[in-house]
Amino acid sequence: MQCMGKNDHEAVRAVLGGDKEAYGALVMRHSQSLFRVAFRITGNEADAEDVVQEAFLRGYQRLESFESRSKFGTWIYRIAVRCALDRIGVRKADDSSRVADEADPEQEQVQVADKAAGPDRLLLSGEIGALQDLALRSLTATERTAFVLRHMEDCTGEEIGAALGIPANAAKQAVFRAVRKLRSRLAPLRVMR
Amino acid sequence: MKHLNEEELIEVYYKSGTVDAGQHLEACAECAEAYAALRSDLNEMKFAAPPTRSAAYGERVWQSIAPLLPAYEAPRRSWLSAGLWRGLSYATACALLVVGAFFAGSLWEHNRSKTTAGGNPPQAPEHVAPPQQRIVVVVLSDHLDRSERLLVELKHADAGSEEMVSPLRDEARSLLAANRICRQNAAKIDDPALATALDHLDHLLGELANQPGGVNAATITRLQDEMNADGLLFQVRVLRSRIPEQQAAKAAQSKEGEI
Repeated sequence: MQCMGKNDHEAVRAVLGGDKEAYGALVMRHSQSLFRVAFRITGNEADAEDVVQEAFLRGYQRLESFESRSKFGTWIYRIAVRCALDRIGVRKADDSSRVADEADPEQEQVQVADKAAGPDRLLLSGEIGALQDLALRSLTATERTAFVLRHMEDCTGEEIGAALGIPANAAKQAVFRAVRKLRSRLAPLRVMR
Repeated sequence: MKHLNEEELIEVYYKSGTVDAGQHLEACAECAEAYAALRSDLNEMKFAAPPTRSAAYGERVWQSIAPLLPAYEAPRRSWLSAGLWRGLSYATACALLVVGAFFAGSLWEHNRSKTTAGGNPPQAPEHVAPPQQRIVVVVLSDHLDRSERLLVELKHADAGSEEMVSPLRDEARSLLAANRICRQNAAKIDDPALATALDHLDHLLGELANQPGGVNAATITRLQDEMNADGLLFQVRVLRSRIPEQQAAKAAQSKEGEI
């Protein structure tokens, strides 16, 4: 997931030993990857920047709980994912939409219709990418995050589960649901190919 | 043949499918077609790439959060661990002291015994005597005890009974050696009463043990008379009764010396 070396652990030890500036090296080393995943989850540049800052702040506050046998990059990456989920109101949205997803397949279409400006219009204007982004944003936060981590960040089921705080199997199921929904919603695009 | 479901196909796409699923795809045209459609859909999903950030982005993030971060305090040793270390140090020092003292004592004792064996006995200081004195007192106490019993038996012995006389003679022989040691010690410590009593006892024991031709009735009677005339049994009893007092007095002296 991330590329880390010994320097991360040395920096963490230095920070815990009172050298606050050592944390700057960690921030500079991991900001780009955190911004990337934060943007993919939030879909918003400003939110992603806020998520990066918040993740590093939370990481600093919890640094004493960081276990040296794990990688700092992985650890702060998970914190960033949590921050991103918090940012988009994961809890509320996830709970309500999950119930809706399981209970009434028809409601999926309603959700898409509510948020989309209309597939035909988007297709006509050639904004295929925008339609895909729209379809992605129509997923629940958990599904979207699981899909982003699997499809774009190449994370394993275990890594996704750890980042989301759910079992690996539940993370896989979230990916399956996301793929199924995306294929369903982007089916009209197949005609244009 | 059981076909792969969509979840299994998705796992194959993300390279987390089973070997069996891969083999099935090669063998099953229907599943291969379904997988091709899935792969096409997923490959076509080109989401907006995240905006690029300059190399200075990390520095900018750090500058924005640095003022909000309090520095961690350098870890200090807790009083518990400090106390533990101090205690361990003291314990180690004490252990070394004890070992050193033991070693020094052993060396000193070794040198002292060498010097003594070399025929140049040092003048024993007075305070060295107590252990030996204690042993002598114990030996003397035991000796007087046995002697008293012998004298009592002798006093009441039937001169004509060989059964009674024979054990008396054996016991007298056994007591002779101890009596000589006690006499020597009595001479050293300048105790005239003890020395006199032990002299009388020595004479009687010698007579009893070494009578030529064995102990006969006449000898027994004579010894009984001598014993009664000297009041030997009484002297032995008195001496025996003094021993606890002597021990107490010596113990007190020893304590005073230590103080």
